[in-house]
Amino acid sequence: MKLLISKILILFFAMFSVAASAAEPDSTVYTRHVERYRSLWDKLIPTYYKIQYAGSMGLISAGVGWNYGHHHQWETDLFFGYVPKYDSRDNKLTFTLKENYIPWTIHLGKRYSFDPFTVSLYFNSILSGKYWTHTPSRYPGGYYFFSTRIRTNLAIGQRVTLYVPRERRKYATAITAFYELGTNDFYVISAVDNHYLNLRDILHLSLGVKFSFF
Amino acid sequence: MRRIAVIPFILLLCACNAFEYQPYDGRISGETGINDKNVALIESKCASKDTLRFILISDTQGWYDDTEDFVEVANKRSDIDFVIHAGDISDFGVTKEFTWQRDILNVLRVPYVVLIGNHDSLGDGDEVFEKVFGKPNFAFRAGRVKFICLNTNALEFDYSNPIPNFDFMDSQLDSVPSQGDATVFVMHARPFSEQFNNNVAKMFEYEIRRFPGLLFCLSGHDHQVEADNLFGDGVMYYADANIAKRKYFVFTVTPSGYTYEVVDF
Repeated sequence: MKLLISKILILFFAMFSVAASAAEPDSTVYTRHVERYRSLWDKLIPTYYKIQYAGSMGLISAGVGWNYGHHHQWETDLFFGYVPKYDSRDNKLTFTLKENYIPWTIHLGKRYSFDPFTVSLYFNSILSGKYWTHTPSRYPGGYYFFSTRIRTNLAIGQRVTLYVPRERRKYATAITAFYELGTNDFYVISAVDNHYLNLRDILHLSLGVKFSFF
Repeated sequence: MRRIAVIPFILLLCACNAFEYQPYDGRISGETGINDKNVALIESKCASKDTLRFILISDTQGWYDDTEDFVEVANKRSDIDFVIHAGDISDFGVTKEFTWQRDILNVLRVPYVVLIGNHDSLGDGDEVFEKVFGKPNFAFRAGRVKFICLNTNALEFDYSNPIPNFDFMDSQLDSVPSQGDATVFVMHARPFSEQFNNNVAKMFEYEIRRFPGLLFCLSGHDHQVEADNLFGDGVMYYADANIAKRKYFVFTVTPSGYTYEVVDF
């Protein structure tokens, strides 16, 4: 939080400085501030795109995200997912905020690498008025203890990455294929205390591709 | 390292049918239209019967093992004609809950019907319920008794969806040839519960008393066994507990009246 506030202050200061120094085009102070201003916004440019099939967040989901950490071991994804209506009322659009942790990367020569274990925590929200985060006010207090709109998912997976050599690079520096096995809060609640449900009932599989731009 | 890497791929093969798009996606696998099929079975099986014996269960949501145990117990009996489930077959209204419970109840040797509960109506659950089990309001005739099954979960719907549906009830009253000489009403939430549209509770009672040979009303929802003369007019309302309490009702309807017992299992 402190970091965020200081970043906002720096940003504000940078913007203010740019406006103030616009009259002196060759000022090095000005150039420095513009550079800082640009680099701050540059950090918001997503570093990769992802497409994911299934995963309890859509038939197909597309999103962007950011790598960070010393070894790029952390990722934050933002997805929009599409769910056809099947036997429900409407087609659905979902939004997902996903955090991935990739502790180990094994390099297999110059062109390939393998991530033997990834773990992901993600929140999927159905963008529809029929689904609520908090129980609507018409219900007595505490009537339903859960949210129908937001699912919390936990998944583990593996990845392989192909690095595109500089001379053949067109869009991406690397292409990563991954799969994940995951479950959600509802299924865990259901499986606890019930022998009837086993891991196969509550685990779901997903496949995805990541295109790294930087 | 390579060997370790292979293990998740084996897991992956096991889970190859487990691509899930969203818990509420409405992607139903397996049998649908359960109530229609089972109503046909009940009607043909009981057509010439004087005495009916049926089981009432309710609120099986999330209690898969207890529901399975009930099915095992019920299958050991040979005196039961059919089973009525008074609703809340799902806890969150997500698609798989309906099919998990369906697969358990499909092991019953006798036909069963399921009513819609308030939990079944969450999200798009009511649509999935309708596909897997059937319409929220339906009726069937077993021998001389007409069973009228109603959606009474008014709190889950708005005014565009009349609950309880008096037009449907009237239509059943008008269909005299299919009307037996006795009537039983079944619902998930009974009058005066927070789910019921209590503004019309007295109208509801007035309406059901117009039916020939009104025997009693059945419900669930309250998660406890109840037997009450709710309106003080002699019409008995029986409610079964949730399945985790491991109690079911057995009703025996004879030409001269009815008896019931609550069985622990």
